[in-house]
Amino acid sequence: MWFLLDYSMFLINGFLITVEVTLIGVGLGLILGILAALGDIYGGKIIKIIVNVYVEFFRGSPLIVQLFIFYFTVPYITGLRMDVMMTAILTLALNSGAYQKGYLKGAMEAVFKDQLMAAISLGLPMWKIFLYVVVPQALRIVIPAWSNELASMGKSTTALIVIGVREFLNTGISITAQTFRPLETYAFITIVYFIWIYSMLKALDMLYNRIKIPGLEPVI
Amino acid sequence: MTPLEQIIFLLKAVPITLAISFLSFLLGLGLGILFAFMRIYGSTPLRYFSDSYEKFFRSVPVLAVMLLLYFGVGPYIQIFKDPFFTSVISLGIVSGANQSQIFRSAIGSVGRSQMLAAISLGLTELKAMRYVILPQALFLAVPGLGSEIALLIKDSAYSFIIGVIELMKHTDILRASQRSLVLPYIASAIIYVAMTFPLATYLDKWGSRKKKELGL
Repeated sequence: MWFLLDYSMFLINGFLITVEVTLIGVGLGLILGILAALGDIYGGKIIKIIVNVYVEFFRGSPLIVQLFIFYFTVPYITGLRMDVMMTAILTLALNSGAYQKGYLKGAMEAVFKDQLMAAISLGLPMWKIFLYVVVPQALRIVIPAWSNELASMGKSTTALIVIGVREFLNTGISITAQTFRPLETYAFITIVYFIWIYSMLKALDMLYNRIKIPGLEPVI
Repeated sequence: MTPLEQIIFLLKAVPITLAISFLSFLLGLGLGILFAFMRIYGSTPLRYFSDSYEKFFRSVPVLAVMLLLYFGVGPYIQIFKDPFFTSVISLGIVSGANQSQIFRSAIGSVGRSQMLAAISLGLTELKAMRYVILPQALFLAVPGLGSEIALLIKDSAYSFIIGVIELMKHTDILRASQRSLVLPYIASAIIYVAMTFPLATYLDKWGSRKKKELGL
């Protein structure tokens, strides 16, 4: 296993790209998810249909197909050229947003029922209700579901090898090609993925236990 | 090839994608039930083993497991030389961890009290499990299992990377042979959505209706 030390910089680079892509993807996905959830709850008929088509498309098809579509098809139709990292982040964000919309909608509806009435009767304008009442609580309720999303996004980033992003698993493929020692390399990579994703889950779990609202459980 | 022929070419690969997903689902189902039981009723070492299995395979990417088994273990063990079985097995063991959690929460929500009631009526613990807990738990697990199959159908696209000739591979072949970047990808995305969408939606609705009927 020690031959991997020769490639340590290479591996660290790949790992950092994986972490970066995961965090940016989930972060942008959170914004998209909030927008989509609001559109689905408040929006008119057309907005609802658009949101649902978007969600079903991105939840229903494999990430690999989506990556190919944003790598090949979209630039071909629109004539826009994007570099690989941009394509990767855009696709991951859209994918993650579709998943997070479901969680966030559930959480927002959990807050909505009684508190919306109370806030309206107190005379708060809609955007203030949203900003001060709904979102702070919804974000806290959503953490368990959301940590799952973070974990699954961290795992899904392995799909980026199909468009040639040099992320962690891809460095493993290159190292295997140079050293002909796939067993140790992939075992090492699998274990690193485990440590990373498991500690992320544990950290979010601790965060949730600290800031959860007693009695207000997630409805997912 | 006309567009229609291209779509038919894509559809020809659907049975293989479904075979991978279905076989790995069955493997995961077996493992899931086994590990859920070990976790709930097993002795301490078994419980510990099942717990770490679940935690490990829920935090590891399927593709990494696939590459590890195919390229890493393949040279030593005969079955992993075949990409089809490798992808079925790796999807199956990862899915087993997910399904174990689904079953655990389903058995948990049937409740300890029913188990105690069954035992006090004179059933053995095994019989109580077989006749009281499991029939109800299976209904509760249905929505989760539905989205698990949908997940497996989507994840089966990864097996294209180790060279299984399934839907994603056919898409890639079309892209290369027809020099067309639009139709193959859009069409295969729609085929995937058509396979996963009914599963997730209808099983979910069916599950929550059943749950109301059972009064759980």
